[in-house]
Amino acid sequence: MKYLLWAVVTFLTFGIQGSLSFFDITPNFTVILACYAGIREGEAKGLFIGSLIGLIEDSLAGSLLGPNLLSKGLVGYLAGFLYSKFFVWTPVLGIVTIMVLTMADSFAVYMSRSIFDTMPSGIGAAAFIIVMQSLFNAPLGIFLKKKSE
Amino acid sequence: MLGKRLLLFLFILISLSLMTYQSNRTPFLPLKSLNSALNVFYDIKVSVKEFISAPFRRMFLREEENRRLKTELSQLLKEQQVWREAFRENQKLREVLALKEKEQHYVTAARVVARGTDQWSHTLILDKGLTDGIKKDMVAITDKGLVGKISDVSPSYAYLLLLTDINFSAAVRLQENRTEGVLSGTGFRACQLKYIPYEEELKLGAAVVTSGLDSIFPGGIPLGYISKINKKESGLFQYIEVIPYVDNTKIEVVAIIRRA
Repeated sequence: MKYLLWAVVTFLTFGIQGSLSFFDITPNFTVILACYAGIREGEAKGLFIGSLIGLIEDSLAGSLLGPNLLSKGLVGYLAGFLYSKFFVWTPVLGIVTIMVLTMADSFAVYMSRSIFDTMPSGIGAAAFIIVMQSLFNAPLGIFLKKKSE
Repeated sequence: MLGKRLLLFLFILISLSLMTYQSNRTPFLPLKSLNSALNVFYDIKVSVKEFISAPFRRMFLREEENRRLKTELSQLLKEQQVWREAFRENQKLREVLALKEKEQHYVTAARVVARGTDQWSHTLILDKGLTDGIKKDMVAITDKGLVGKISDVSPSYAYLLLLTDINFSAAVRLQENRTEGVLSGTGFRACQLKYIPYEEELKLGAAVVTSGLDSIFPGGIPLGYISKINKKESGLFQYIEVIPYVDNTKIEVVAIIRRA
């Protein structure tokens, strides 16, 4: 039941993500799912669920299997690691963490594509997109916290 | 802890290997078929969005169209007003032109520019005066009948004394039985027909025309019709009221003619 719910939420997230565009930038909501998985389920499951989401995203993108797989898996792991080991959750810290993790995810995808495939955009445009995606995701940091907090 | 780090290390290694393997080959996409499911979702989303937004869009379109039509209607009404005014003016001028052709003593046509400033007198101010050939005691008519006579004149303007004014009098006769009398203004809409003997049998609605015997008004100009006859009052003559054919409130252009 739990995994079915995950599948439905993931599917809806992809649907919503593909339907929205702010300033001609597609938001990166799937990274939130990876973060959430890491925060709630711990590093290992975060890595697993994140990589699964990344695998789906890469498959849907149709270019190269790996960039999102790697980035989302890393984000899932890092989210679990940071939230369990490093700090006590506060809303501001939650926002900052989500922003940083979103930036890390987008940067990892950009770098992977640039190295193993073709450069998806110029460095300036990429920086703008990464910053904007992290800003879109920032408010969701308030809602992402461990069960106990 | 070590197991997790090992897992992470292996994960990164596998990911990088996978990407390296694909870098010079066709991408390996195991879940590509999910795209069709997602496309179905997009289709449903578009349908739902269309279902929700269509009534609002139609509403906005109607609102916009309504606003545009109102503006156009307002513009057309203004234009229609202008055309209607031009049409009426044209009609009046045609009537005056017809009078000019009919009347031998025609002098000029004049437009009413104002009503007299004296609230108690029934006068009109015309836009033509001495320079246009208008003189005192000339007669003003329309296609319907007598309007009055020129009571005063300046180089550019003339003052027209209406036949309803209390100071107005004209020699008249009844068109049918040729009985003569004098028509005087009363200060109201109806004028009084004086000096009609008791024995005369008159009918309501009988037409009254100028007789020309006063040497001011040419004979035969229609004036009005009898609206009231009273024989009961004592005296030698009947009390008769005449309603002028020309409505003072609707006079715009008059033709000026010379005295008989």
